[in-house]
Amino acid sequence: MRNISLFFRSVVKSLTLLFFLAITANSVSAQSAAEGVTLFKQKCTACHALNAKVVGPALKGVTDRRSEEWLIKWIRNSQAMIASGDPEAVKIFNEYKPAVMTPFPELTEENVKSILAYIKEGDKPAPAAPGDVAAQGAGASSNGISDFALWGLVAVIVIAFLIIVVLNRVVKTLERMMLKKQGVLVEEVELVEKDRLAGLKKLAKNKKFIFFVIILVVIFMSTASWMGMWNTGVHTGYQPVQPIKFSHQLHAGINKIDCQYCHTGAYKSKNASIPSLNVCMNCHNYVTAAEKNGGQLSPEIAKIYRALDYNPDTKQYGNNQKPIEWVRIHNLPDFAYFNHSQHVNVAGVKCQKCHGPIQTMEEVYQASPLTMKWCINCHKETEVNHKGNAYYNKLIAAHDQLKKGEKVTPAVLGGLECGKCHY
Amino acid sequence: MESNKKYWKGLEELHKEPAFVENSKNEFAEPLPLEEVLNEAGLSTVAPRRDFLKALGFGLGAVTLAACQSSPVQTSIPYLVKPEEVVPGIPNYYTSTYNGHGVLVKTREGRPIKIEGNPNCIISQGRVDAQTQASVLDLYDVSRLHDPVLNGQKASWQAVDQFVKSALSNAQAGGKNIRIVAKTINSPSTKAVIADFTAKFPNTKLVQVDPVSYTGIIQANQNSFGKAALPHYRFDLADVIVSFGADFLGTWISPVEFTRQYVSNRSWDALKTKKMSRHIQFESGMTLTGTNADARIAIKPSEEGIALLNLYTALGGAVSGGKTLANNAKADKAIMLAARELAAAKGRALVVSGSNDVSVQILVNSINSLLGSYGTTIDLDNASYQYAGNDAEFVELINEMKRGMVDAVFFINSNPAYDFVNPKEFTDALAKVKLRVSFADRKNETAAHCNVIAPANHYLEAWGDSNPLEGYYTLVQPTINPVYNTRTIEEGFLIWSDNAVKDYYQYVRNNWEKTVLAQTGKDWKGLLQTGSVSTGAKSGGAYAFNRELGSVAQTIVNKSNALAKGGDNVVELSLYQSVALRDGHNANNPWLQELPDPVSKVTWDNFVAINPIHAEKLGIVEFDLVTLKKGNLSITLPVLYQPGQAMGTVSVALGYGRTAAGKAGNEVGQNAYPFIDFVNGTFQGVAAVTLEKAGGARELAQTQTHHSFEGRNVVRETTLKDYLKDHYAGSGKKADHKKYDLWYDHENPGHNWVMAIDLNACTGCGACVVACNAENNIPVVGRDEVRRRREMHWIRIDRYYTFNEDGKTVTEEREIDDLKNMENVSVVHQPMLCQHCEHAPCETVCPVLATVHSTEGLNHMAYNRCVGTRYCANNCPYKVRRFNWFNYWNDSRFDNYMNNEFTQLVLNPDVTTRFRGVMEKCSMCIQRIQSGKLQAKLERRPVRDGEIQTACQQTCPGNAIIFGDVNDPKSAVAKALLSERTYYVLEEIGTQPGIGYQVKVRNTEAATAEA
Repeated sequence: MRNISLFFRSVVKSLTLLFFLAITANSVSAQSAAEGVTLFKQKCTACHALNAKVVGPALKGVTDRRSEEWLIKWIRNSQAMIASGDPEAVKIFNEYKPAVMTPFPELTEENVKSILAYIKEGDKPAPAAPGDVAAQGAGASSNGISDFALWGLVAVIVIAFLIIVVLNRVVKTLERMMLKKQGVLVEEVELVEKDRLAGLKKLAKNKKFIFFVIILVVIFMSTASWMGMWNTGVHTGYQPVQPIKFSHQLHAGINKIDCQYCHTGAYKSKNASIPSLNVCMNCHNYVTAAEKNGGQLSPEIAKIYRALDYNPDTKQYGNNQKPIEWVRIHNLPDFAYFNHSQHVNVAGVKCQKCHGPIQTMEEVYQASPLTMKWCINCHKETEVNHKGNAYYNKLIAAHDQLKKGEKVTPAVLGGLECGKCHY
Repeated sequence: MESNKKYWKGLEELHKEPAFVENSKNEFAEPLPLEEVLNEAGLSTVAPRRDFLKALGFGLGAVTLAACQSSPVQTSIPYLVKPEEVVPGIPNYYTSTYNGHGVLVKTREGRPIKIEGNPNCIISQGRVDAQTQASVLDLYDVSRLHDPVLNGQKASWQAVDQFVKSALSNAQAGGKNIRIVAKTINSPSTKAVIADFTAKFPNTKLVQVDPVSYTGIIQANQNSFGKAALPHYRFDLADVIVSFGADFLGTWISPVEFTRQYVSNRSWDALKTKKMSRHIQFESGMTLTGTNADARIAIKPSEEGIALLNLYTALGGAVSGGKTLANNAKADKAIMLAARELAAAKGRALVVSGSNDVSVQILVNSINSLLGSYGTTIDLDNASYQYAGNDAEFVELINEMKRGMVDAVFFINSNPAYDFVNPKEFTDALAKVKLRVSFADRKNETAAHCNVIAPANHYLEAWGDSNPLEGYYTLVQPTINPVYNTRTIEEGFLIWSDNAVKDYYQYVRNNWEKTVLAQTGKDWKGLLQTGSVSTGAKSGGAYAFNRELGSVAQTIVNKSNALAKGGDNVVELSLYQSVALRDGHNANNPWLQELPDPVSKVTWDNFVAINPIHAEKLGIVEFDLVTLKKGNLSITLPVLYQPGQAMGTVSVALGYGRTAAGKAGNEVGQNAYPFIDFVNGTFQGVAAVTLEKAGGARELAQTQTHHSFEGRNVVRETTLKDYLKDHYAGSGKKADHKKYDLWYDHENPGHNWVMAIDLNACTGCGACVVACNAENNIPVVGRDEVRRRREMHWIRIDRYYTFNEDGKTVTEEREIDDLKNMENVSVVHQPMLCQHCEHAPCETVCPVLATVHSTEGLNHMAYNRCVGTRYCANNCPYKVRRFNWFNYWNDSRFDNYMNNEFTQLVLNPDVTTRFRGVMEKCSMCIQRIQSGKLQAKLERRPVRDGEIQTACQQTCPGNAIIFGDVNDPKSAVAKALLSERTYYVLEEIGTQPGIGYQVKVRNTEAATAEA
């Protein structure tokens, strides 16, 4: 039943997400301040906040301090202004040395105006994150089909049993009618009708019935244990509680941060690697999520600060550091070698192919079974991404000679051999 | 004829001893206890069936219950602040230096896990020996001290510094001497630190002493040419090499460099130009160099000096004292022939001697001078600084200490309580010194007698430098923070002498920038990347030698007479360094302890090597314990039959018998250092001793006869003469016969990984074995398990003896029993590893398909699939499969490096550690192949030839192994396999191996072959 609920949940989740996306899209195009929010978050939050000095100054009231024209010029190319000797620009430059403001020539005047509109209006209460709708619980599952087969089998067996019982009854009745016609068994029939238990007793003596029941039980148990054994050690849906409630939905889904911004190893190493905390701090030394937490630092981000012994005032890491112990979700056995760069970089496989809809996960769960069968199936089906990769030229030429026309999958190029993953 | 030549691995095989024949038929080394089971408890118990069912039921229940536990929760802990250069999963390489050899240190996530040669190093040229390969394990040695020790108690560095400083100022005030005892220091920065220290404490003097000393050569050069240094020998420029007991391929001065030089004149490239050097070896014990010689003549230590005198005379030198060698007419004849060959190759000849006797070395100098070797094969201007010990100075120091003139003494890498001739005399003298500081990284024999132990960093934790050759400087760069609370040696001296610079890194850098970098115009960062700087070799001048040799000859004759004094049971003892352990300072390294000696194939022990015929005369059987006595000294060791050992001599390896080396090295073998003699100002490793049976026996753990080829012809050999006549000589290629195959051919359309091994380039040194250990996480099993034939090495060097009696090879047809002695044997080394057969016999018998063939020509082994039937090992004609009898990484009975939380850190994370009950074997470093291919894919280009190297190939000092893709016709391996000398081991049985061997060619000219 859990699977059905999970399935239902994921459907609901995607629907909600679609709904919200549609709503946001509509409303954003409507007003410029709302466009400003998006642009502000994209372009400015790396160095600015409304109410606090981060890398650059706090922006609240900047529209009162400076003229709009000046601001547009400054935002689009501050360096040029400093070089041209604008006194205000030079003053700001000296104050915030050595940090210089990145030029944004791609922003149109309209864009800057909408950002300024947002700054003027300030923060409205943020819309609830769509992720909040999703209920907490276990993860989704992909082995529904095998479970479905199990239940289907049970249903078939039950139906078969019922049919047999009915047929048996029919045969009995017919027999009795025959005998009645011949006038042999009249009293017995009456006896049977008197004693209900006798029927069960008789059933228990019925060899056919007993045989049938035993067969049924054996089939049921062996099917169950067969399924059980195949799924031993398969942890699809494993969703442990993590030390920090990090939401991939927020970071990867809504903020659209590239996976490899944090998982830097995926493109070049065997480990995608969990980001070190200094990567988190690239953003979280100013992204404090205070607006959602009543002006206070988010308790989850506070955990990063604690781990690094970070002092927000001096912006320094302290000495009393304690690493975060994440719970590992995707566990391959030690004898299986897996390399992220081979799949992500060379083959161009999307992260979601194995990790599931990670951008919608409030809490990460194991989306794929990570069994050898699962690996092999993919290696049999997927085409090798050999275009433009000179490494494959010789292999493909050889392949064309031997098995022209056949799809070039990793399996065809020897990707199913033991030693490719086990050494 | 040649194919019938008889090769044998050990005497038991040669004589077809019943026990050996029986054993070779058995699958198991020891009989299985079947009889016991059937006779005792098994059949006679009352209800075995019920018990069986009970056990079965319980077992099933227990297993079910045990399996019920949920999978353990694993945590993943990222860096807090990731160092920029570290990417988890990708190794970093750093340049450093070990023992003067430039190395590259491979680190993973900040842990050094493997040492490789630095191709920029002019000495090693990217190749390193077994010691260097093994040195990474020493970093993780649990026997290392965790803290400094002051008066036997754990102390802080401040306390130590305070104590040492006050003791030093007392010594200074009292006008007493301060002495620094060190194994040769060739580090310019260390020397500068000591100079600064001496400036502060003027009574300081550095005394350099090496356990195995080269003072003889240094002083002879001082005497002959006024240059007190080791010359730089150039074996690559020598066409004729005559060595008197110098094991220059194994242990003598700079074996890695010499191996490269020596092989360059004898392997692929040299033979292509139809040239090959000629090497004649005179020696008593069978050394690695002797096994490689074209002609090897057994002589006693007492005959060595006389033989050299005869050679000098034969070359036209005028000296008295030469005489014919009694009872060794063969050597006499050989000397004459060697003289003729040397004279014919003037300017391209080289004579070396392993003796540490100044007189002998002066004589050798005069011979080389006659031959015009100076300026050609011997370079005195670009001297070697690898050894600079002065034996007499150390003996003088002991006298000083006895007289109470020394108040402070420091020991740098020096352990005289173990390796001095008379440890008792030394420790008694040491007790009179007030401040005794040892920089040992463990509480070793000398450190135990010191009141301060200031544990030094391992070289992978320290800055430093080295100047092994004139004009060549290398840098030691740390790759990890000190694991324990240890400190660089030099930092101690800087602090104690109140130097302005207290940080040794800064000191080294300043020193380099002042000297070498300023001289060459290079910068520090560039230096860190290349690891070394060469200021350019000076041009070598010719050195004339003109000296009256009368007194020298007299000393040599006297010494010879003293050695050969004779008497009941008196034998001549020659001490040597084993190729694995050398002088014994790294005796606690289990990789080295388990590395079979290249000649005897003994592990975990030293022994008395004796000629079998000689032993027979003395009534000694192999493995009998015997006692060697000289005066009050005696050691008891098992006997090993060593074919090729000179009659009337025995050999014992130094470096064993440590008492305070650590878990692995303690009580392994016996200490033979006390048998060294201090004569004429130098330590000499020869002595006349009495040999007595001690009663009892100790079986040595030999890997020698563990894997029998059942007399099949697996090594192929020819002579230069035959080779020049017919390049196919000995390869068996001429016999053209039709081939039949039971199996379909495998298609290897992409890559086809193969290997070529040149038997002419393999000297048998064993560096590949240790490199493979480190790369592939191979467990150390210990002495007892080796004796049960359970060593795990994936690559082994097979050593085959063959007779060379009276110039004619001995074949099976000719009787071998009437051979006069066992002196005249020659040896072939053959690296043996999984042959990755195209039609592999192991693959067809595996019931679970755990070992299967790949489309890249490799024989894969899936550990997780293996159920341990061992059919494959049984069916492997090459006997290269190894079975995991235990969980070596998790079994309290195996206290090995894989089984310790800390030492485990040396394991290669890209290679699975194997479970009990699983078969394993050489994978051709498939992890390197895969990562090399991946690198090519990432860079969108084809794999380059030579970019993927196996661990054994990478370290091989002789460049004997070439690995690559034979489908690429331009690859080095494809070209090598096209050579006429190529043959495949047991190719006649149709396994189609992936490793081609090149026939061994010996330069045995008929003339000397008869000698």
